[in-house]
Amino acid sequence: MTHTKLYTIIYVVLFAFATIQAAVEGFGLVDESYWFAFWLIIVLSVVKAVMVAAYYQHLRWEPRSVSYLAGGGVLVALALTAAAAYSIV
Amino acid sequence: MLRHTVIQNVPIAHAGGVRTPAAVFNEIFTVFLGLGTLVGIVVCAYTVYNAYAYRDTGEESKADADRPELGELPTGGGGGKKLFLSFGISAIIVLSLIVWTYSTLLYIETGPDSQQVQENALEINVEGYQFGWQFEYPNGQTTSGTLRVPQNEMVMLNVTSRDVFHNFGSPELRFKTDAIPGQSTKTWFVGQQAGTYEAKCYELCGTGHSYMNATVEVMPRDDYQQWYNGSESE
Amino acid sequence: MSDLPPKSSIRRWFLTTNHKDIGILYLVTALFFLVFGGLLAMLFRVELLTPAADFLGESGYNQAVSTHGLLMVFWFISPFAFGFANYIVPLQIGADDLAFPRLNALSYWLYLFSGILFGISFFQGVTFPGGWTMYAPLNTPAYMPGEALGATSVVLAMIMFVAAVTLGSVNFLTTMYRMRAEGLRMRDIPMFSLSINLTVWMMLFAFAALLAALIILSSDHIIGTNYFTYQIDGDTFATNVNNPGSSMLWAHLFWFFGHPEVYIVFFPALGVMAECFQTFTGRRLVGRKWFIISMVLVALQSFIVWMHHMFLTGINLEIKTLFMATTIGISLPFDLMVFSLIYTMIKGRVRYMTPFLFSLGALLLFILGGITGVFLGAVVLDYQFRGTYWVVAHFHYVMVAGATALFGGLYYWYPKMTGKMYNEFLGKVHFAVYFIGFNLLYFPMFIAWETPRRVFNYPVELTVWHNLSTVGAIILGGSFLIMFYNLFVSYFRGAEVGDQPWEFATSAEWAVASPPPLENFDGVPSYASGTLEFLSPSDVAKRQSGHSGAAADGGTAETSPATDGAGAEAGALATTETALATGAGTAEPTGHEHASHASFWPFMISLGGFLLFLGLSGIRTGSMLYTSLALVGGILGFGSLVGMAQEPFFAPETAIAERWPFADVEKMKLGMWTFLASDIVLFGAFIGSYAFIRFAYGWEAWHHDLIPEAHVTFPGLVNTYLLLTSSFAVVLAMVAAEKESRAGVMASLGATFALGVGFLINKGIEWQHLFHIHTEAFPEGWAITTNLASSTFYLTTGLHAAHVIIGLIIAGYMFFRSWNGAYLGDEKPIEYFGLYWHLVDIVWLFLFPLFYIL
Ligand code: HEM
Ligand SMILES: [Cu+2]
Ligand SMILES: [Cu+2]
Repeated sequence: MTHTKLYTIIYVVLFAFATIQAAVEGFGLVDESYWFAFWLIIVLSVVKAVMVAAYYQHLRWEPRSVSYLAGGGVLVALALTAAAAYSIV
Repeated sequence: MLRHTVIQNVPIAHAGGVRTPAAVFNEIFTVFLGLGTLVGIVVCAYTVYNAYAYRDTGEESKADADRPELGELPTGGGGGKKLFLSFGISAIIVLSLIVWTYSTLLYIETGPDSQQVQENALEINVEGYQFGWQFEYPNGQTTSGTLRVPQNEMVMLNVTSRDVFHNFGSPELRFKTDAIPGQSTKTWFVGQQAGTYEAKCYELCGTGHSYMNATVEVMPRDDYQQWYNGSESE
Repeated sequence: MSDLPPKSSIRRWFLTTNHKDIGILYLVTALFFLVFGGLLAMLFRVELLTPAADFLGESGYNQAVSTHGLLMVFWFISPFAFGFANYIVPLQIGADDLAFPRLNALSYWLYLFSGILFGISFFQGVTFPGGWTMYAPLNTPAYMPGEALGATSVVLAMIMFVAAVTLGSVNFLTTMYRMRAEGLRMRDIPMFSLSINLTVWMMLFAFAALLAALIILSSDHIIGTNYFTYQIDGDTFATNVNNPGSSMLWAHLFWFFGHPEVYIVFFPALGVMAECFQTFTGRRLVGRKWFIISMVLVALQSFIVWMHHMFLTGINLEIKTLFMATTIGISLPFDLMVFSLIYTMIKGRVRYMTPFLFSLGALLLFILGGITGVFLGAVVLDYQFRGTYWVVAHFHYVMVAGATALFGGLYYWYPKMTGKMYNEFLGKVHFAVYFIGFNLLYFPMFIAWETPRRVFNYPVELTVWHNLSTVGAIILGGSFLIMFYNLFVSYFRGAEVGDQPWEFATSAEWAVASPPPLENFDGVPSYASGTLEFLSPSDVAKRQSGHSGAAADGGTAETSPATDGAGAEAGALATTETALATGAGTAEPTGHEHASHASFWPFMISLGGFLLFLGLSGIRTGSMLYTSLALVGGILGFGSLVGMAQEPFFAPETAIAERWPFADVEKMKLGMWTFLASDIVLFGAFIGSYAFIRFAYGWEAWHHDLIPEAHVTFPGLVNTYLLLTSSFAVVLAMVAAEKESRAGVMASLGATFALGVGFLINKGIEWQHLFHIHTEAFPEGWAITTNLASSTFYLTTGLHAAHVIIGLIIAGYMFFRSWNGAYLGDEKPIEYFGLYWHLVDIVWLFLFPLFYIL
C-alpha cells in the first residue's frame, strides 16, 4: 500500500496545525482567554496525534485489536492523570 | 494581639452528647468483627468439610465416569446455580455493610449535626516534624508534645507537616489523619472523659519514627480555661 | 550464535535462551531472594521480641523492614511465579519457546543483576530506609543519613528490575497471542497460563507507571530535580511551600502501580490453585467461564482502586466515595472465584498430596485475608486501621497466601522439571509446619493490631502477641529447611516419574516427557480435533495449504522490541531493536533451519547495565571509581547490544497456530506495539506528573512564577517542524523500500537521521541559553535544579530526547545497512522502526504545547 500522496497531504496538515498552535500564542490568545486557548491547542494536538497514529503508524489498516492495545495505554495514563488531579480539587 | 481580644474564652457548647469518632468506630468494628468471624468460620469450615467429605477413599463413585482427561479442551464444569447463589449472598452481605457504613463516613467527614457544636469547635493546628508534634491554639500560643483540649468540646485539628510525610492519630480517641508537607488535612474528636491519652505517628518518617508520640490532655472545662488564659501571657 | 552445552556444564546456564532453563534460573534465584528477605525478617522479628531498638538499632530496623518488603514483593514473589510461567506457559499453550528467546534471557539477567545491585546497596553505608512504599519526600537524599548512595542504588536496582519486567511482559504477550496450538482459543488455555496472561497485561501498564515514578525519583537523587522535594517559607505551620504536590504525587504514582501489583502478585497463585484443585479433586473447575470473567474484571478494575491506600491524605469526599465503591466492587469477583474453587471439590476424588495441601491452605488463608480486606474497604474502619498491624496482617494473609499456593506449584511441577518425585511424607510435614508457623506468625498481628506499623516500641501489653509472632516466624522459616532438603535430595534419589505423575491432570505439559525435551514437542501440537494431538510435518503441510495467508511461512528471525526510557539502560534495550534491522535482513528464514538456543549477549548486556547503574549510584560524589564504573558499564552494555544485534539468531514461529486477535499482526510488530503501549503509559505518567504538580501549585501562577521570559515558543516550534519532517521521511523510506529504490531508502533514512540530529542540536542550543540567562528573577540561570518548572521541563523533554537518541542510533545503523542494499523489497524493519519513531513524534506533539505554549 503506497499512499505517498496521502502521506504528503497529512504532512502538510500536521505542519499547518503546529503553526496554528504557535500562532495562537503569538496573537496573544493565551493571555487573553487562557482556557479557550488551552483547549484549542490541546484539541489540535490530539488531532495531530491521531493522524500520525492512524496513517503514519497505519493503525487504520491494522486489525482493530492493535488500536485497542495502544488505546489501552492512553486510557491508563488518562485515568491516572485525571483522577489524581481531581482528588486534590 | 488582636486575636487575644477576640477569643478571650474557650467557646462554650457542650459536645458531651455527640457520637464521638471512637464510639462510631467501636460500633462498626464490633459488627464487622462479628459478621466477619461468622462468615470466616462458616466458609472455612465448609471448605474443610468438602475437602474431607470428598476425599479419595479408593471406592468407585458415579462421578468417576466423567473425570478430566489429559489433553482435553476445558469445559464449564457446571454448578453455576449454586455458584451464583453463594456469590449473591456474599455480595449482599458485603454491599449492605458498606452502604450502612457510608452514612457514618459522612458523619465522620462532616462532624456532628449540631450547628452550635460545629461553630464552636476549638480549632487547633497540628504540625508534625522529625520527630515530634507542635500544636497551635486559636490564641496563637503553641505547645510541643502535649495537646491540651477541654472536655466535652469538639476539637477540630488541621494537620500538616514541616518536613516529611507523617500521620497523626490517637488509638483511644480514634482520630487519625495524614500530616503531609504542603497540604493540610482535617480530623476531629471529642474527649468525653478527662484524662491523658496517647497520640502517635502512623507513617514511617525516619529513625525517630518509633518515638514520635504525643500526649493528649483532656481537661475539665474550668481547668482548661485556667490553663488557656494563664498561658496566654507566655 | 553458539551451540548450547549440556546441563551439567556451567557454561550452559550463562548461554541458554531456552524457556525451561530460564524458568529454572528464575526459580532458583527467586528462592535465593526469599531466603535473603526472610533472613531480614528474622532480624527484625528478633528486634520485636522486646519493645525497644536494642538489637538492630533504629536505622538498622528501618532498613531491615524496608528492604524486606522490597525484596519480597519485587525480587521474590513475582519472579518466583515467573519461573513457573517461563517453564510452563509455552508447554501449556503448545509453543516451542517464547517468542523472543534472547529477550527472555535478557529479562532474567537484568533481574539477577538488579538483585545484586540491591545487595550491594547494603555496603554503601546505609541502604534504603524509607519503607517499601517509599513515601516522598522521605525517599529523597535530603532526608536520609549520610550520602544516601545505598538508597540511590536501590532505586536504580528497581529501574533495572522494571526493565526486566517490561521485556518479560512484551515477550509473554507476544508469545501467548502468536504461538498457541491450533484450536486453542484464548479462553481455552489452561488456568495457570490464563492467569499469567492477565498478570502480564497488568504488569505491562502498572510497571510503566512505576517506571515513571522511579526515573523521576532517581533523577531527584542523581541530578537534583525537585519533583519530590519542596521548600518552606518560615519555619512553622508551613502550608506555603513551593511544591505542595510533592508527597501526593509519589503516593498517586506509587499506588497506581501498587494496587495492580497486589493482583500481579496474586493472580499466578490463583492460577496454580485452579490447576491443583482440578488435578487433585479430579473435577473440572466449576463455573470456569465465570471464573475467567471475574479475573478479567479484576484485572481491568485494578487500575481504578488505588486511592484506597490514600483515604487519609485529604483527597476529597467524592473521590473517596468512588474509590470505596470500586474497592468493594473488586472484592466481589474474588468471592465468586473462592466459591468456584470450593465447589470444585464436590463429587471429587480429593487426594491430599502436597501440592493440594498447599493450595487448600492458600485458599483458607486467602479467605481470611479477603475478609479482613473488606474491613479496610469500609472507609471509617480504614481510617483507624491505616498505618497499623491490621494492614500488615491483612496483606500478609493475602500475599503470603499467594506464596503458599506457589510453593504448592513448586511441588506440583517439580516432577515435571526434574523427572523425579519429591518425598511425599516430607512434603506433608513441610506443609504442616508451614501452616502452623504462618498462622502463629500472622494471626497474632490481628490481635495486636493497635501496634503502629514499622515501629519497634509497641505498647508493652502487646508483647506476648509479638513474641508469639516471632516464634511463628522461626517455625515458618524453619519449615523451608525441610523443603530445601526434600527437593535437593529427591533430585538425586527421588523415584523416576513418567510423563504424567498426577492422575486427572489435563494440560499439555503432562503430555511430554519429564523433563521435556529441548524443543518441547515431537510433533506440532494441535487441538483442532477437540483434544490434544501431535501433528507430523506432513499433516502440518496439509493444514497449511488449507489455511490462507495468515499462518505464514516457517518463521522470522528473532528481533527484539525495545524496552523503555530507563535512562541508558533503555538506550541499551531499545537498540536491541536494531536486531530488527539485522536479524530480519540476514537470517533468511527457510523454515527448516535449526532454532537457536544460546546467546552470550543477554548476560553481557546485563553486566554492562549493572556496572553502569552501580556507577550512576555514586556519580554525584564525583568519585573516580564510580565515574569509571559508569563509563565501563555503558561501553560494555552498548557494545554487547551491538553484538546481539549482529548475532544471527533464529527463533521459528510455529507453522500453524491460533492467533486471535492478532492473527494479522506479525510477531515483531506485535512485540513492538506492546512495547509502545507501555511506553505510552511511561510518557503518560510523566505528563500526568507534570500536570499534577502544576495543578497542585496553581496552574496559571506556575507560568508566571517559575518560567523565565527567555523560555519562548520558537525553538519548540522549530523542533516540531523537524520531528514532523523526520517522521514523514521515515514514511518515504518505507515507500522507497517497497519500490526497491536503494537511493530512495538511503536518502530518506539519511534525512531522518539528519533531522533528528538537528532536533538535538536545536535543543542543545536552547538549553544552553536557558541555563545561562541572567535576569532579576533568575540570576543564576534557569537550570535543572532551579525550580519545579525547570525540573519538569528538563526531565520530561530530556526523557523524550533520550528516546530520540535511541531512535537515531537505530536510524544510523539502518542507514549504514541500506548502503549495502538492505531493505529493498523488505520494508518491514523500516516499518517497525517507524512505529517507534512516530510515537516519539506523537509524544512531542504534546510536549510542545504543554511546555512551550501553555
Ligand atoms: C478482598 C479484597 C481486598 C480488599 C477489599 C482490600 C482492601 C485493602 C485496603 C483498603 C488497603 C489499604 C489499607 C491501608 O493502608 O489503610 C489494603 C492494603 C493492602 N492490601 Fe488489600 N484488599 C483486598 C485484597 C488484597 C489482595 C488480594 C492483596 C494481594 C495479594 C492485597 C494486598 C494488600 C497490600 C500489600 C496492602 C498494603 C500496602 C501497604 O500499605 O504496604 N489486598 N487492602
Ligand atoms: Cu513517623
Ligand atoms: Cu490496594
